[in-house]
Amino acid sequence: MFRDVAKAFGAVQALRGVSFAVAAGEAHACVGENGAGKSTLLKILAGSIRPDRGDVSWEGERMHFASPREALERGIGMVHQEMLAFPNLSVTANIFAGREITRGWGRLNEQAMRARTQELLTRLHVPVTPDTPMDRVSTACAQLVQVARALAFECRVLVLDEPTTSLTDAEVDHLFGVVTGLRAQGVTILFVSHRLPEVYRLCDRITVLRDGQFAGTFDRATTPSDDIVRAMVGREPPKRVARRRPSGATGDSPAVAPALRVENLTRRPAFEGISFHVAPGEIVGMFGLVGSGRTEILETLFGLAAPDAGQVAIDGQPVQVRSARDAGKAGLALVPEDRQRQGLFFNLSLRHNLVLPLAAKQDVRVIDDAREEAAAELQVKSLAIRTPHLRVTPDALSGGNQQKVVAGKWLATEPRVLLLDEPTKGVDVGAKFEIHNLIRGQADTGMACLLVSSDLPEVLSLADRILVMREGRLRGELRGGDATEEAVMRLATHDVEAATQDGGTA
Amino acid sequence: MKRLWQIREFSTLMILVLEVAFFTWYLWPSGGGHPFLNVGNALLILKYSSIYGIAAIGAAIVIITGGIDLAPGAVIGLTSVVTGYFFVQAEWSLTASAFMGLMVGLSAGLISSWLIVGVRLPPFIATLGVMGIWRGAGYIITEARFYDLSAKLPRNWTVFGISIDWVPPIVMVTLAGIFQVLMKRFQWGRAVFAVGGNETAALFSGLRVGMVKTTAYVAAGVLASISGVVLAIVQGQGKADLANGYELDIIASAVVGGASLTGGRGSVAGAVLGALIFGVLRNALPQIPGATFYDRVIVGLAVIVIVVMDQVLVRRG
Repeated sequence: MFRDVAKAFGAVQALRGVSFAVAAGEAHACVGENGAGKSTLLKILAGSIRPDRGDVSWEGERMHFASPREALERGIGMVHQEMLAFPNLSVTANIFAGREITRGWGRLNEQAMRARTQELLTRLHVPVTPDTPMDRVSTACAQLVQVARALAFECRVLVLDEPTTSLTDAEVDHLFGVVTGLRAQGVTILFVSHRLPEVYRLCDRITVLRDGQFAGTFDRATTPSDDIVRAMVGREPPKRVARRRPSGATGDSPAVAPALRVENLTRRPAFEGISFHVAPGEIVGMFGLVGSGRTEILETLFGLAAPDAGQVAIDGQPVQVRSARDAGKAGLALVPEDRQRQGLFFNLSLRHNLVLPLAAKQDVRVIDDAREEAAAELQVKSLAIRTPHLRVTPDALSGGNQQKVVAGKWLATEPRVLLLDEPTKGVDVGAKFEIHNLIRGQADTGMACLLVSSDLPEVLSLADRILVMREGRLRGELRGGDATEEAVMRLATHDVEAATQDGGTA
Repeated sequence: MKRLWQIREFSTLMILVLEVAFFTWYLWPSGGGHPFLNVGNALLILKYSSIYGIAAIGAAIVIITGGIDLAPGAVIGLTSVVTGYFFVQAEWSLTASAFMGLMVGLSAGLISSWLIVGVRLPPFIATLGVMGIWRGAGYIITEARFYDLSAKLPRNWTVFGISIDWVPPIVMVTLAGIFQVLMKRFQWGRAVFAVGGNETAALFSGLRVGMVKTTAYVAAGVLASISGVVLAIVQGQGKADLANGYELDIIASAVVGGASLTGGRGSVAGAVLGALIFGVLRNALPQIPGATFYDRVIVGLAVIVIVVMDQVLVRRG
């Protein structure tokens, strides 16, 4: 089905010639780590981007889609993890968007569309009416509405992109029931996920991508999941790398005041009653699935949202943080999740990008070129940012180097506490390694680091302690040998009983 | 030379030079004095361009923050009325009257920025509302009459030994210089560019986004008021319908001078050069026989042609 597909974004080679086949009528999974190239592959399949070379074919037909509309017309139906819908329009309008049933001259045939929608919703057991506005539809139902849309276009291949990320168990069961039913009716399923248990539950064969390359197709029946994990990471499942522990300071010893202490921090409905601390030189990982409240905690700590209750202390001193400006002055730094939207100024040079928070923190009024140049140069050197000079704008850099700029602009302020939100999201493996070393290096100099990540191997290998979040609450704390992938996932999902057995301190 | 072309203001300056060269050639007289290229005409162009140019400085700043200000025309009109009222009706000194005139722009800027930052209205809507109210206030005060300042202004008036005619361009150049330095050499200017380039990242970087926007709209309001005082003196009138529709010419000057309506790009010096480009057009076109009724069309075309030319230049650079 895919033959030698390659795609590069600027300096980043997202796909390096991937070929694999999906048999008609099967349920096929595509798995890989973040940045392995799954989403790029899907975008090519959906027609939203074009490959640099290679092609996609289906039942002998070459499929080169110029647009998402063409892909839809040729029978490729997509269900995205994010709801790509018109929240202001009804369910019916969403299902028929772009291909409305008309009576000629473009007059809409509302009855026909509503009837067809009702039929599809009944068939998929979706508890909404055709006239419900999309913004009143729950995430789980929205996924099913996308399935309905695909069916309305009589799709032959249904592509599901991480559909279960924000669903509850019961909702996942419902969705999988629907998908299994469709498969029985002859629809081919391509399921993209990083959750192996779900992959095993739903799919016959599993294709693994790694660093933009094909790493093998495996049969469910004959392959244990460890082999899949090995294929995904390209080596033995990652082991915890020993790091020099900060002397007597994992926060237990009262001798050292924690660099960051959070007491009973609450912001309803995102999270409630969050208490933890981070010692100087310690890396604390915070793991949780999407929607568990982890990003919201960082935003609140950083003054971007006001908490309902709770205290924050830095180096033992209580602080009131009402804005990012206060946060910077208090000694906090945040490397945000979305570097393009929240981190970088594409109209400003690298030098200006690198000194903005420092200037804001120090209340600089008049710009001192020499000092700025020196401060920016220091970050470029210490973080090994690969750039021709400081006058380029950030769009000239690769994703990994852009991420280093975002880190660098905050490290220039010499913070006490470094908050990191998904610091290696969407960067290639080499840059990921460098960023990990950077975080370790900062911790070794005595900085307290709070690392939020949905990349479990990353959290396991970097963090001294792991806090696990679920549904807005801290569900446990794991350290040392207790911190295994299974133990963390158990706390992060639903298995409360097992979590208490594992010594969770929620 | 290549370095020079990378300076945005340089290409705007070149367009101005080409424009002046073209009209000098096109209007070359068969005999006698040149109707376009003479000191008196140059002064006339500079004097009237200043009214647009001073306000365009503020327009550029607001546009660089990613906003828009539709109020400057109305602010200029109301400023002339308020200055006229205090100078003619209340018989205050000119300085005190002009000071009251500046309050018009200050209040417009404060209200606009409160609506944008506090109430979170889109800048287009907020300043559209302010434009209507400020323009209307002028009519309420004057009741369709006007204040005649010219009778009370001294004849052959000089300030520090120079003719009053030279004052508007000197004010414009001085203000452009001050704001150019503020935008390039001060943290405030840097913050204006940062907010316009990426407001979310500016917030995440600890910049006071609300404060930056407020100062930008207040600066734009006060600068428009300075234009209003200049116009009241130049025209000798305080009249509610003065500067009707100027907001679009002022925005066009800023855009032709390099300001990007998506924010994050632009220059104060460029905006002043943009105002001069339009000033020359408005002066020279009526001198071309038969072009009288075409000047608005040509000004409109010029906006499009210059901005497209600039995009080509930028892509090449």
